[in-house]
Amino acid sequence: MSARGPASAPRATIPVGIVLLVLLPLILMPLSAIFIFAFRGGADDFLRALGSRDAQFALRFSLIVAFTTAALNAVFGTYTAYVLSRYRFRGKRPLGIVVNLPVAIPTVVVGTSLLLLWGPIGLLGRFLAPLGIQPMFAPAGVLLAHLFVTFPYMLGAVKPVLDEIEGTYEEAAYTIGATRWQAFRWVILPALKGGLFSGALLTFAHSLGEFGATVLVSGNLRLRTQTAPLYIFAQFEAGNIAAANAVAAVLATLSFVIFFFLLRFTERRGR
Amino acid sequence: MERTSPRLRGLLPAALLAALLLYATWPWLPFARAERTPPTIVFYGFSILADAFHDGIFPAFQKTWAAEGGGRVEFVSSFGGSGTVTNQLLMGVPAQVALLSLESDADRLADAGVIARDSWKRLPNAGVLNLTPFVIVVRPGNPLGIRGFEDLGRAGVRVVHPDPMTSGGANWAIVAEYGSGFRGSPGGAAAGEAVVRGVWKNVVAQAASARAARTQFENGFGDALVTYEQDALYDRARGRFHADIAYPSRTILSEHMLVVVDRNIRPRERPLVDRFVRFLWSDEAQRVFVRFGFRSVRPELDAGNPGFGGIADPFRIADFGGWRRARHDIVDGIWKDRVMKAAAPR
Repeated sequence: MSARGPASAPRATIPVGIVLLVLLPLILMPLSAIFIFAFRGGADDFLRALGSRDAQFALRFSLIVAFTTAALNAVFGTYTAYVLSRYRFRGKRPLGIVVNLPVAIPTVVVGTSLLLLWGPIGLLGRFLAPLGIQPMFAPAGVLLAHLFVTFPYMLGAVKPVLDEIEGTYEEAAYTIGATRWQAFRWVILPALKGGLFSGALLTFAHSLGEFGATVLVSGNLRLRTQTAPLYIFAQFEAGNIAAANAVAAVLATLSFVIFFFLLRFTERRGR
Repeated sequence: MERTSPRLRGLLPAALLAALLLYATWPWLPFARAERTPPTIVFYGFSILADAFHDGIFPAFQKTWAAEGGGRVEFVSSFGGSGTVTNQLLMGVPAQVALLSLESDADRLADAGVIARDSWKRLPNAGVLNLTPFVIVVRPGNPLGIRGFEDLGRAGVRVVHPDPMTSGGANWAIVAEYGSGFRGSPGGAAAGEAVVRGVWKNVVAQAASARAARTQFENGFGDALVTYEQDALYDRARGRFHADIAYPSRTILSEHMLVVVDRNIRPRERPLVDRFVRFLWSDEAQRVFVRFGFRSVRPELDAGNPGFGGIADPFRIADFGGWRRARHDIVDGIWKDRVMKAAAPR
């Protein structure tokens, strides 16, 4: 872009204007509506709506699930990326497709499939139920759903970096007697830091906003399994727009912040 | 931005993350916990109950239980369309007590073995906890002059209706529409079907629950909403009601059914759950329902709410042979097989 001289700058007004004209009603206006409605009753009402026990629980629960999902998938995703990138084996391509499937599957289908596997009438769940083990409709079920849905994000952030790392450094490490773990820890991991960070942020953000799978596997129980998006939906459906919007405004702000960091981070690395 | 050192720039996200993590886990941290978590009752209810239970029944029972020396008790609850709640129960949610809009949802649970057959009939009042008639909510001043269900079939009336697949209220509404025609004219069954047909020709929005349908109507959709009287009355009581209620002269009184899911109740929770169930039929709880716009199973308590409207010819589901028959004959036989098939685009 900087290759073009400043002479082209004035002509940008019209295309930029068109983009804004499209973005305004599509994205910017709906988002601002959340904030306008959230504060329509004043800051006091906003804080009261946010301070309710249900809302506080929903926000905290969502954050905990998002942190856990990001941490676990950072490990699983990185390991999978490492295996896919460093080993040669039969079925590598199909495996590569399978691990990326969750992006393509509708989240509602993910929820149904988890229920039909782990639920009390599910394939495995029916053997667990008599033992008193019930992962669905419990926090564990929500976590399972989020791990499933967000799995590819970590992979997508880490694998390209892994593929790009020159094999020579690793080989050098092996020649001086490093084990696979040592080579990973001291050669690969430092180079992966950026990918890990942006992958974890993406996973976190997606987990925070996950709705389709969660609504099915959680049982939507207040104070037990209701995440922030479910809380927003339930309150909005019940006509408590102020309560819904207070939490929606917080979620939206959080995602802005996350994306701000993500963008700045990738920008810095891109330079 | 360029002036801050890279170390400082890295610190900001880290500090933010740490703060978020601390906030999220705060109530569960060992030093922040005030006391052991008290025993809980897991309650599922159909959509319009949310506020009556959350703000009325639960606090009242917590007081009662504490006064009787039981200590603290917590409620974990979920509210949705009656059909949705029933499907969740079928999938195995840990509900201990559930209030369903209609008995046929309880029948479905019994058919699947979730609860014992007819177990609800052994509860007080055969499981019926409270009632409310079906009414039509119209725009302020009733500009279209709607007086009954038959008026909803007039050309140009846009009706908001809950979805019979997931909403118990929608099932009641269909029987109300049918019954008003059936009882109001010598035409009988044919007249009943004609009213259902008229209403559904004009349905412009279907929501998953009665509460959701009301929210759609509040957001400006449609000219008329078929719903529980309670839903409209409760809004009016809170000053949020910018509409009028049209009372049909003939309409149904819905009877809401309590079920106790024994398999989700551990032996040590039994006394608490039993006490809660008994409490629901106490005068105190019934007064709470009346305050929130439900009609009590004890009609003498209804005087507590001056908002209740008069209905010349209220009828019950028993007048149509109970829910099993009504579902088969009216909801499935007429609405689903005849009215909706005819309305489907070819």
